[in-house]
Amino acid sequence: MMLSRIADSLFWIGRYMERADNTARILDVNYHMLLEQPADTYQLRWDPLITITGERTRFYQMHEEANAHAAFDFLGYSEDNPNSIAQCIIHARENARTIRDRISRELWEDINGLYHKINKLRDEGVSDLSRFCDAVKRGGHRFHGVCDATLPRDEGWHFLQAGCAIERAEMTARILDVHYHQLLEGPQIMSEARHAWMAVLKSVAAYELYKRHYTQIEPEKVAELLLLDARHPRSVRFNLGVLQNSLYAISGSVPGSYANEGERLTGRAYERLAYDSIGEIFEGGLHEYLEELQGTCRTIGVEVTQTYFYYAVAS
Amino acid sequence: MSAAQPAFPVNQLLFNGYDPGSFYDELIAPNGQPRPGAAPMYEQLASMPLDVFEERRKVADLSYLVQGITFTVYSDGRGTERLFPFDLVPRIIPHNEWKVIERGLAQRVTALNLYLQDIYGEQRILKDRIIPRNLVYSCKHFRREMVGLSVPKDIYVHVSGIDLVRDSRTGEYLVLEDNARSPSGISYVLENRLVMRRTFPTAFEVCEVMPVDHYPTELVQILRSLSPRSGDRPVIVLLTPGLYNSAYFEHCFLAQEMGIELVEGRDLVVADDVVYMKTIRGLTRVDVIYRRVDDDFLDPLAFRADSLVGVPGLMNAYRAGNIGLANAVGTGVADDKAIYAYVPAFIKYYMGEDPILQNVDTYLCSDQTQLSYVLDHLPELVVKAVGESGGYGMLMGPSSDKKTIEDFRARLIADPRNYIAQPVIPLSRCPSFDPATGTMSARHVDLRPYCLYDGEKVTIVPGGLTRVALQKGSLVVNSSQGGGSKDTWVLRGDE
Repeated sequence: MMLSRIADSLFWIGRYMERADNTARILDVNYHMLLEQPADTYQLRWDPLITITGERTRFYQMHEEANAHAAFDFLGYSEDNPNSIAQCIIHARENARTIRDRISRELWEDINGLYHKINKLRDEGVSDLSRFCDAVKRGGHRFHGVCDATLPRDEGWHFLQAGCAIERAEMTARILDVHYHQLLEGPQIMSEARHAWMAVLKSVAAYELYKRHYTQIEPEKVAELLLLDARHPRSVRFNLGVLQNSLYAISGSVPGSYANEGERLTGRAYERLAYDSIGEIFEGGLHEYLEELQGTCRTIGVEVTQTYFYYAVAS
Repeated sequence: MSAAQPAFPVNQLLFNGYDPGSFYDELIAPNGQPRPGAAPMYEQLASMPLDVFEERRKVADLSYLVQGITFTVYSDGRGTERLFPFDLVPRIIPHNEWKVIERGLAQRVTALNLYLQDIYGEQRILKDRIIPRNLVYSCKHFRREMVGLSVPKDIYVHVSGIDLVRDSRTGEYLVLEDNARSPSGISYVLENRLVMRRTFPTAFEVCEVMPVDHYPTELVQILRSLSPRSGDRPVIVLLTPGLYNSAYFEHCFLAQEMGIELVEGRDLVVADDVVYMKTIRGLTRVDVIYRRVDDDFLDPLAFRADSLVGVPGLMNAYRAGNIGLANAVGTGVADDKAIYAYVPAFIKYYMGEDPILQNVDTYLCSDQTQLSYVLDHLPELVVKAVGESGGYGMLMGPSSDKKTIEDFRARLIADPRNYIAQPVIPLSRCPSFDPATGTMSARHVDLRPYCLYDGEKVTIVPGGLTRVALQKGSLVVNSSQGGGSKDTWVLRGDE
């Protein structure tokens, strides 16, 4: 019988590892994109990134302007930003440590190894953003590989998967939202906008797939892929599908039904993404749509916690 | 950190210039030759160039780091994770020596249990005036709540760690202290062996070393027998204070090895005197707790109310006989350092036998005459606080400055019951690698074997934890005070 605390930790290992990975991706892609940009758009291009991570207020308390150096410091190592990559990895490791008797030795050693690697890069004073992000992304891939190859497919597995899926769905929605917003308000230069959308696609590893399916870089098409695609492992729809499967596996619910509020909300959001068209979504306003989706993801997280991890009163 | 170029040649041999000195050396006989049984291992090491050895040392260190085998020190206020240094030269115990140790420990552990049964039962030993009543009652860890309570199978101390040292003057093993609450360190015994097997597989080919891996199996069997419910699958958990406890790694390790649930206080809840754990499917009944939380923190309703790591109501469940606990509550009245002085008398009193392993001479500061002797000889003595462990609250007279000694003098006078004193024992030594010189140097060692008691027999995995004072000349082996550890090899004999 799985302890609630262990399920909780697995869920959050998934979330933190995914958060670290996504943050490294957007940081890295933005950096590379800006290498070929005129200097005056600089500020504009780092600011959205900070917004994506949801830590805008905190950032401007610590830094005057959003530039590569400040963003790297804040999103990469900062101890004062609870969602910096280093902090996410520390949290993932703390969670893994508290349940290391319940995960494979390989998984613990992997997360612990990543933690030491990041510390080492910091201690060496590595200012090479690319190298740092590369280490984190590789770490993320290895994490999924080690999980896949060493964890039994029991309830714990499904809590871990649920954590990853919910985080990834929310992150993809947020990346899309922030960039869309920024591009609407920014200078309407076609070539630059295209460049920016390409960066978005690359940050979620969807650039190659996009090129195969669509010819032109167009906001609607990019949004369609990231939101509605049934096959891309970083699309919102795909991840809500994974989340639903895992929640069903935990509760024993069958498709078309639900055992708790978290499952109901997941099912509803998933079905909407399966049947809404991108035209309809733009008509109703992409921003509003994405905002609601992110809200739903947050609520699902709370519901999963209430259902499985939380005991109201110690009698 | 950039290391300077070593001043010694990389192909230098490890035992060049090794001097066993005037202390008993566990590996090398006074004539400079390896002791019987140690020769095959010694020859392998002695012919190994420094660079090869260093290579293996790095591999071993890395394996501890990667696995996160660390302990926490509290000296800086926030607790820092550190590696417990591991020395690659094993400590070797010949079979016949081990047989004596084993019998001595079994005798001692049996006596400690009989004493606890008696103290929390009829108290014959007090009536017969073998030990002063107020010495027992004034123990910090005496639990009045336990008097008159019967515990499953009458076992109090299921798991103990008895610290032994070898006196260089006589070559005899002496008992330095008993640990009857929740001794830690067994995970290092098992991990050290694992790392040794990986690092020096060939040494195991030439030496016949007795295995230690069966410890968790033995322990879980004892825990199973404590279940108050019948049925062959009792729910057993290991209760840990949590991530920030210095022995947290060990708690995880043991839970995993025994296939039992690792829980924190907040995972458990008591309702109607029954203990449950909080699972994703609701509450599940718990039968046995291997607790690694001290008595004081076990149940905020019964003991310290400010404990956040305990389980409210646990003592009621225990009293109602609904939960098995290992070790029992109140075993600290057996390992108090003042009580220690009476253990040989317990053996005589309860078992009618002479102690096989002797104590170190001990002065009880609660006794006026003994106290004045101690106060007159502080610079020669070791002073220890009776209820402490882990090398905390201790004075090493010969290596302390005047201020520290005067500070202790004041403490002794203020609270004599809280202290004992012992002469400094010239501990035996064992070759240990000194990275500063790139050679072997003799360092002082002790030995903590782990004893499991099932009510009928005492089981001891061969060897135990050899702790080594890695600082030159130091006699303090505790991990919190700069100690390290070694693998301990009990050699197979002809039986």
